[in-house]
Amino acid sequence: MVFDINTAIGHWPFRQVPNHSASQLRALLTAKGIGGAATVNTHGLFYLNCHDANVELAEAIADHAGFFVGVATLNPMYAAWGRDLSDCREKLGLRALRLAPQYHGYRLDCPEALAIAKAASGLGMPVLVPHRVVDPRGRHWFDAEQTVDLPDVVALCEAAPEATVIVTEACFYANALLGEKGCVRYPNLYLELSRARDGMCKLPAEVAAERMVFGTGAPFKCVTPALLKLDLAPELDEPARRRIGWENGRKLLGLM
Amino acid sequence: MGSSPAWQTARRIDAHFHVTDADPDAGFSRSTRRLDREQTERSLRQAEKLGIDVLCTSVPLTSECPTPEQVHLANNVTLEARAMSERFFGFCFLNPGYARESLGEIERCIVDGGMIGIKLYHQYRICDPALTPVMQRAAELHVPVLMHAGKGRDTETKIQQPRLSDASHFVRAAAMFPETMLIEAHIGGGGDWEWCLRHLEDRPPNLYLDISGTVIDAGIVDKAVAAIGLDRVLFATDMSMEEGVGKVLDADLTEEQRERIFASNMKDILARRRV
Repeated sequence: MVFDINTAIGHWPFRQVPNHSASQLRALLTAKGIGGAATVNTHGLFYLNCHDANVELAEAIADHAGFFVGVATLNPMYAAWGRDLSDCREKLGLRALRLAPQYHGYRLDCPEALAIAKAASGLGMPVLVPHRVVDPRGRHWFDAEQTVDLPDVVALCEAAPEATVIVTEACFYANALLGEKGCVRYPNLYLELSRARDGMCKLPAEVAAERMVFGTGAPFKCVTPALLKLDLAPELDEPARRRIGWENGRKLLGLM
Repeated sequence: MGSSPAWQTARRIDAHFHVTDADPDAGFSRSTRRLDREQTERSLRQAEKLGIDVLCTSVPLTSECPTPEQVHLANNVTLEARAMSERFFGFCFLNPGYARESLGEIERCIVDGGMIGIKLYHQYRICDPALTPVMQRAAELHVPVLMHAGKGRDTETKIQQPRLSDASHFVRAAAMFPETMLIEAHIGGGGDWEWCLRHLEDRPPNLYLDISGTVIDAGIVDKAVAAIGLDRVLFATDMSMEEGVGKVLDADLTEEQRERIFASNMKDILARRRV
């Protein structure tokens, strides 16, 4: 069984994305053998008041409680994020927070971003940071061109060590996981695998097993490539595959 | 190996792959190039797991104007890969700005060396008249010309690849060189792939499209088939193997249709060679 940390529901304004309702996405993932997923609201990225999208998300996944885990989207530069974050966790049952500074116009090391990351940690919510939502080389004229790059993520990890940070849609952060003598450099940093290259980015197997988290990017992206990466990564044995594919994501979300 | 019949029974033929240089940071001014054999072994093992029996490989140079000597050395790496494993087929990389030397390299690598096609990068657009001698020779030999392509909408691509060919250039080239088989590279290579597909809807009879690249947007293969036609879509990875296989497996196709993309379409191209 596999758990997907990187899915989304809702409308994307710049390209037709199939299977973007909760029921369609669940059917798609289930058909591929995926047993559960963390999901965000796509169009909420573009709301000034993101929290409305969190309410919509909770309603959309209410009938899929055993399958989907909701991930809040909030903008720490906007009013009342503290109250919204608390409501997301305690009233809406959302289990993680997505920050998208490239869409909301701030940097991850600004005081507001650090404050919300620390507050999320206090509520037991990991912070998901998408390196990008779609490939900027094919961006719509109105879409964000910026990506969230390694220095921004490192700044967050260092300034908010109590926060758990999961970078999605990144392919080149693997070396950041390793410090001297192969030790883990940022103990609060995890990477979603859908864009991993060379197996698990040539990470030592024990580091990959601890720090990589399965995700597909569905419904934006095809599902099978990520499954093939998990199944065929030459450095992984079966226990490592189970940790990456099932346990890591669920543990980070407090599901086990 | 290019003349070997092994490709006729291949399950999956990767129409666009690359092997890498053992010392990629050594720069262009050097007298030798060597294959990264360790990486190449890894690639072969991963290809085996994914059912890819043949990898059509090349070593393109991305500088603005590589010299004939540099092109020669790059193609030597491809020849080394071919000597290492018969699963590698070769595309002969050329800088068509050096017409006479390019024709000589075609003789060395394709006629004598068994490579199966020509690989072009972004030194010239595909519809540039400078390509005429190379295109004519490809037509005589009935070998395909695979060219780097994309429609980048980001600032970086526009700055770094000012002569990048997009689908509109390929449509123009297909009319300029009607006897030459053209392959537009990596519809998933990054860029506005839907813009490219809309340009290909007229389906020039000598134009093919490979599906390689890191972009695995849902529906990309389905839409490619709808735009240019099932018989013109080629399975390829551009070294993104799981992405290449996975996006074909996820397409809404019958097994027979999938097989055409995975192998038969490329087999039809290979069968036409007169060399």
